[in-house]
Amino acid sequence: MNSKLKRAQLEDLGTSRSLYRRDFIYGMGASLGSVALAGMMSQNASASEAAPGPLSLKTPHLPPRAKNCIFLMMEGGPSQIDTFDPKPQLNKLHRKRFTRTGENQSAMELGTRYYVQSPWTARQVGQSGAWMTEPWQHLPDVTDDICFYRGCQAESVDHPTALFHINTGNRFGGDPALGSWVTYGLGSQNQNLPGFIVLPNLSYPQGGTPNWGNGFLPAHYQGTPLRPLGSPILDLKPPVGITAEHQRENLNLLGRSNGDHLKQHPWHDDLQARMENYELAFRMQMQVPDLLDIDQEDQNTRELYGIGNDDTDEFGRKLLLARRLVEKGVRFVQAYTGGWDSHDYIKRAHGARIRGVDKPITGLIKDLKQRGLLEDTLIVWCGEFGRSPDNGFRQGGETYGRDHNAKAMTMWFAGGGVAAGTTVGATDEIGEQAVDVVHPIRDVHVTLLHLLGLDDNRLTYFSGGRFKQLSQFGGKAIPELMS
Amino acid sequence: MDALSKVVNLCPVTLPIAALAAMAACFAIPGYALSAQEHSYSEGEKLFALKVKPLLKQKCFACHGAGQEIEGDLILTSREEMLLGGESFDDVLIPGNGTGSLLYQSTTRKMDVYQMPPKEADRLTEEQTWLIRDWIDAGAPWPSEADQATIQEKYAEGVVVQTSGGLDDDWTYRRYAEKDLWAYQPLIAPEVPSKSKTAHPVDAFINRHLDDIGLTPAGPADRRTLIRRATFDLIGLPPRPEEVQAFLKDRNSDEQAFATVVDRLLDDPRYGEQWGRHWLDVVRYADSAGFANDYERPAAWRYRDYVIRAFNRDKPFDHFILEQVAGDEWHPDDPEALIATGFLRMGSWENTSMTVARVTRQQFLDDVTDIVGQAFMSHPLQCARCHDHKFDPIPTKDYYRIQSVFATTQFVDRKLPFQDYETITGFDEKEVMETRLRYFTNIRDELSAKESAAVKKWCIEKGIPNKSRAQLAKLGIPDEKLPPRGLGLTSQEIGIRKVGLKNLLRTTYEMNKFEPFALSVYSGVSPEIPLVSGKMVAMPDNPMSGGELDASYILTGGDPFAQGVEVTPGVFSTLPDSNESLDATDWNSIPATPTGRRLAFAKWLASPRNVLVPRSMVNRIWSYHFGQGIVDTPNNFGAMGGKPSHPELLDYLATRFVEFGWSVKQMHRLIMSSNAYRRSTEYKDRDRLQKTDPNAEAYAAFNHRRLSAEELRDSMLYVSGELNPLVGGLPALPEINMDVALQPRQIMGSFAASYQPARTPEQRNRRSVYAKKARGLLNPMMEVFNQPSPDKSCEARQNSTVTPQVFTLFNGQDSLYRSIATALDLLKKNKSRKSVVEELFLRAYGRQPSRTERSLYLAHWDNMEKRHEGLTFEPRSFPKEVTRSAVEEMTGASFEFTERLFGFDDYVADPGLGDVDATTRALADVCLVVFNSNEFIYVY
Repeated sequence: MNSKLKRAQLEDLGTSRSLYRRDFIYGMGASLGSVALAGMMSQNASASEAAPGPLSLKTPHLPPRAKNCIFLMMEGGPSQIDTFDPKPQLNKLHRKRFTRTGENQSAMELGTRYYVQSPWTARQVGQSGAWMTEPWQHLPDVTDDICFYRGCQAESVDHPTALFHINTGNRFGGDPALGSWVTYGLGSQNQNLPGFIVLPNLSYPQGGTPNWGNGFLPAHYQGTPLRPLGSPILDLKPPVGITAEHQRENLNLLGRSNGDHLKQHPWHDDLQARMENYELAFRMQMQVPDLLDIDQEDQNTRELYGIGNDDTDEFGRKLLLARRLVEKGVRFVQAYTGGWDSHDYIKRAHGARIRGVDKPITGLIKDLKQRGLLEDTLIVWCGEFGRSPDNGFRQGGETYGRDHNAKAMTMWFAGGGVAAGTTVGATDEIGEQAVDVVHPIRDVHVTLLHLLGLDDNRLTYFSGGRFKQLSQFGGKAIPELMS
Repeated sequence: MDALSKVVNLCPVTLPIAALAAMAACFAIPGYALSAQEHSYSEGEKLFALKVKPLLKQKCFACHGAGQEIEGDLILTSREEMLLGGESFDDVLIPGNGTGSLLYQSTTRKMDVYQMPPKEADRLTEEQTWLIRDWIDAGAPWPSEADQATIQEKYAEGVVVQTSGGLDDDWTYRRYAEKDLWAYQPLIAPEVPSKSKTAHPVDAFINRHLDDIGLTPAGPADRRTLIRRATFDLIGLPPRPEEVQAFLKDRNSDEQAFATVVDRLLDDPRYGEQWGRHWLDVVRYADSAGFANDYERPAAWRYRDYVIRAFNRDKPFDHFILEQVAGDEWHPDDPEALIATGFLRMGSWENTSMTVARVTRQQFLDDVTDIVGQAFMSHPLQCARCHDHKFDPIPTKDYYRIQSVFATTQFVDRKLPFQDYETITGFDEKEVMETRLRYFTNIRDELSAKESAAVKKWCIEKGIPNKSRAQLAKLGIPDEKLPPRGLGLTSQEIGIRKVGLKNLLRTTYEMNKFEPFALSVYSGVSPEIPLVSGKMVAMPDNPMSGGELDASYILTGGDPFAQGVEVTPGVFSTLPDSNESLDATDWNSIPATPTGRRLAFAKWLASPRNVLVPRSMVNRIWSYHFGQGIVDTPNNFGAMGGKPSHPELLDYLATRFVEFGWSVKQMHRLIMSSNAYRRSTEYKDRDRLQKTDPNAEAYAAFNHRRLSAEELRDSMLYVSGELNPLVGGLPALPEINMDVALQPRQIMGSFAASYQPARTPEQRNRRSVYAKKARGLLNPMMEVFNQPSPDKSCEARQNSTVTPQVFTLFNGQDSLYRSIATALDLLKKNKSRKSVVEELFLRAYGRQPSRTERSLYLAHWDNMEKRHEGLTFEPRSFPKEVTRSAVEEMTGASFEFTERLFGFDDYVADPGLGDVDATTRALADVCLVVFNSNEFIYVY
């Protein structure tokens, strides 16, 4: 952050050099001391009154259709064929030879290959008649809130590059994640929490933290992972045995020392910012655990998300937490669930994965709806790519699975502004390639930004010699996906 | 001139004059001369031809031209069409009324609905919108194509730059504002301003500018502040109390006394650790390869140490370039030169069964082309990968010509004995890894035996030969009769075996770091079978056989499968004397032979005739000293980068750099001896300063800075007395946040081994530059204090103040254990409490506490001691194993895998709260406050 152009851009955003000097997190800005501290964890802290910080609210480019986003990341690549895009043609071709050639193939896609059918039949559900395979038992309840999209094509069949692509718009890590762009563009309603929160699996995805990195955007827009085990935010609490009062004493001495020091350097406002940051952190460390404590929710709600049931507990907890975060004004929540990479035994593997997410996701949509939050929340469900209609050498029975496929996948959207109750786009007879309403990932990104009130072409940041944007070089919103 | 105007008038389209001049010979047909040259043009006509038309062409015609798709039924390619308007508006052009015309209004972006061009990145500057307005106000005249060309010829501003040529003539002959071409100008030593009273050339330039803007510089920093500044600057650590005392007591002049300090610091081996780290930021150093497996690169550390040695030995920077880009070709017998080529392999790279070999090869080529541009020439070349550079005179052809320099560059893990100047102690990790290897081998053997038994039984039952499944398949046994994979094993066992096998392969590969290999390259044909990550690559017997010699092409749109025109290796043709199509010399021509390309290219880079390289490096040096460069985008000297705040100073330094024999240390001496470097950060009339110099680039006062992540950790270790001064060696394994260390980390089809810190404090408490940097597992303490991710080249550290920093430094383990260690050391070395507090201040701040401070800190110690007396703490404990539960992706069944953490056997922990008494713990609280204080974390 030291180029003139970057500074000029900050000024464009209504900030200034002096603010740039004091840009510290969660944007309490210059007036931290005067902000009503009691309201700290409440929604919509008086951001508008405070001097604009990096997370302060910004005016959207377009009328927003949704305010927040919950992004459900099915890591590993769910099979479109065995979830929402059934291909009965494969039943006829099952175990017949399949040939693929060409230079642009990975080793995984070559060799002796066979068509494989889905282990499940599918049926049409809801008024819209969307297709779902048998294992989806709960999601049919909310079919008509969903817009299924079968036209997206990814570019890579390698997990980390494909994940980077769907998360950051670039196949190689290091660029800002979608959630970073959104919080950069819109700010966040809660100035005391990160604007972009990630609920990862205990085991981070391939490629690791760059999947939610801020890239060249300022550090304030980085995704903050809330860890499922151990301390949710690293070092949120002091060492075991040290009480808050104990820490307060240390903090008092620190405040005194920093205050004396400030007198010698009265012009350096970053010193002041850093002092205020300690006070903010001290309050956060007491209040964040409360926010994360989903046991405060009533039994019905917990039941709705499948909490307490072995299959659904893990993802259910994440989604209930996602709802709580969105309620508190967190702009963008991304929840991961893994295990979709079913090269073998797709019946068992995908069966278990669908069981794990079916009820929690349905619960989330119902819960948001009953609280009147669904219309303000954009829900995205996708993996990093789809799966192939064929499989390598397997010995029949239930052992077969599917390999990676960048050319076809199903993703779906629900909530604010989406064309609920529709199925958009189509794949070919065997589900190998998207053939109708075909768009690259960047167009999906542009659409998501659009729904959130952001114009990809105007959401830019100067870095490395040019104005960069999520779509890299521009893209088109997909009108069919929007209501 | 006459001949030229004839051609102009013939030409059906507007071409820049230079193009026409080049074509004149072919097109000069007599008899068509019109009288345009006699005509005098109105200001409006000139404005149109020179400014407005090019702007329309660049920004509007793509959608509102006469092409296939016309947006909004609006055509802007002629005055008549403009007057017709589009489907929604008629008043696109109202001649004489600029502000009323939509053409102007829409470009101001102040309208709600129409903001043109639609892409924010393409937006017009305010000045550009005024051009449109003024043209319309002038009646919107639209001279003929011929007249436009004549106006261009007579009045055009800007410069056509000679390059190897763009993808089209429009680009080749486009004009650049002169101010954007500063970096390509010949490098000539400017005259040092003589008016200035000071004798120091740096100050002569700086002060002249200060005089110009009417600012008086701040006075000098006091010696105590200055030695702290210089010590952090050069070695990244605070000065020792005795060093401060020596400087304070030095009776020599301030200049002389400070020069002594600078010389001492430049001779300190920790200098190379600090300044080598800056270079490692630029080259994106990491110990691992990134992507799905994130394999540890067995020999990356030898390159890291090479960089540190290069700075410590003040290796001439031209040699530094030659060795990194072409060491294997330049000095093939010099181990240093071979290790140095690790530079070319610093990017993330992986090829597996799930990637496409040609794509990953191209990824390397793109990566290396770009980093060579950024690191040495301050030009990110990737912008020219898909199209000629939008703003700078970098043709795509040059991008692929430079890429062609590396087309014969192949990866190799060279056998290269450890040298006596390399550190090869600290191989204790080997034992841990060997134990892990045995453990996984046992698992594999046990489970394979179990499976074999089951397969044998199966084969007998099915009446088929007892062979492996693959062999049976080859024999044509039908699928149904083949023994299923993992036969006889439970789902649990299948999962464990898979994790075990992966770890076995991985550990075996990564243990090569204990062997004498160098991460290096050679020149030759591309191997027939593409490399697969996770295997050592031996030097082929004959680098010229067994594969294809790769030709190089311009790749359309950057797509590796879209080969365009073939290119031969070349240099960046825009630089003076570098365009061999005009004037081929040894200097600017790269041989197309398989070997020698990189050497020729490196010689071009490292030549005093190269105007970018010395400017780039002196600017980096300056930027690390002052916290901002003379050009404040050290990786980008192009039009979109910053402009030099002191262009003559930059050129002065660049020419001196070459005269000094490319000595970086000489540059430090020159810069640090200036008054500008030695100024105070405090400025009396701050309002005036901020108003006159809002970007703080006039150097009227010195800019204070926060410690970097590495400096912060190292300084705490230094204050506590724990810092191990050992230079170089294998990646060190400090303690990191335990939650992160033990967090399962996915790699392709398995989990990576947990991060386990080294067993002894000496091995852990190394300088941070030596800490293992795995792309997929960064130390969260480093990350939160803005250590850049090694995915991209970092030209300057960010310095954000974010709340997680408080959690890390106030609650986290680094500051806790350093505080306890500091307390123990202070108590051991001091008799009275008073002297404990005094020494803490001296070590951390380089000064004595005031009387008030002393009593305040003593009181706090007492107070906290009373609190601590009632408290008991558990001693630290370390897990011997960690259990992972996972879903076996291949089967969908869950399994549990218990990883033994051999690294924690016989672990020697740093003392924790449970290991020390209340007095020590209370003093540790005092130390914790000091480590968190602004005085500790800022340098003035």
